Amino acid sequence: MIEAALPGAAVEVVDETGGGDHLRTTVTAAQFKGLSRIDQHRLVKAAVKPRFDDGTIHALSVKTAVPGS
Amino acid sequence: MADAELKQKVEELIAANPVLLFMKGTPEMPRCGFSMRVVQALDTMDVEYGAVDVLPALQPLREVTAEISDWQTFPQLYVNGELLGGADIVEEMFDSGELAEALGAEQPAGAAPAQAAIPAQPAQAPPLQIE
Repeated sequence: MIEAALPGAAVEVVDETGGGDHLRTTVTAAQFKGLSRIDQHRLVKAAVKPRFDDGTIHALSVKTAVPGS
Repeated sequence: MADAELKQKVEELIAANPVLLFMKGTPEMPRCGFSMRVVQALDTMDVEYGAVDVLPALQPLREVTAEISDWQTFPQLYVNGELLGGADIVEEMFDSGELAEALGAEQPAGAAPAQAAIPAQPAQAPPLQIE
């Protein structure tokens, strides 16, 4: 889902509790270049918003990075 | 659609407080682990900040911050009128020293938020109330 919104992004997801609804993700995407952290996180959160809306995910911890930095 | 009066109140608070934290609970008694982590980072920095407990008006405040800064979860840390981030971003910036830079504070030597059980100085600003 994140990969669809940010083509070429490297996405790593860890299930923190084993329940599948508390996730930790690390997203590395060239699209983040030049954006503040908050804007990078906004992109990720917007990508997964439908899963929050339908209740599949309750909590998502996000870490973002730009490739090569 | 967010409550216009509440939105104005929130905008005024953000404008009036150079460092403002919207959190669940109070700095003295955080009611959420994420809020507590941000409080610990700020207390370690020894900066003065305002804190708003969002719990009495959680849903209306979500609607307001969604409009103001496209962000609906708490905590939210505003610095000089701009949303810096929630707990993830604040902690990452704390670890890298960017938070100290953003706050114009000094990076504490060797301190990490999790280890800051006893802050050097408590937050000096009294909790702000949302009526």
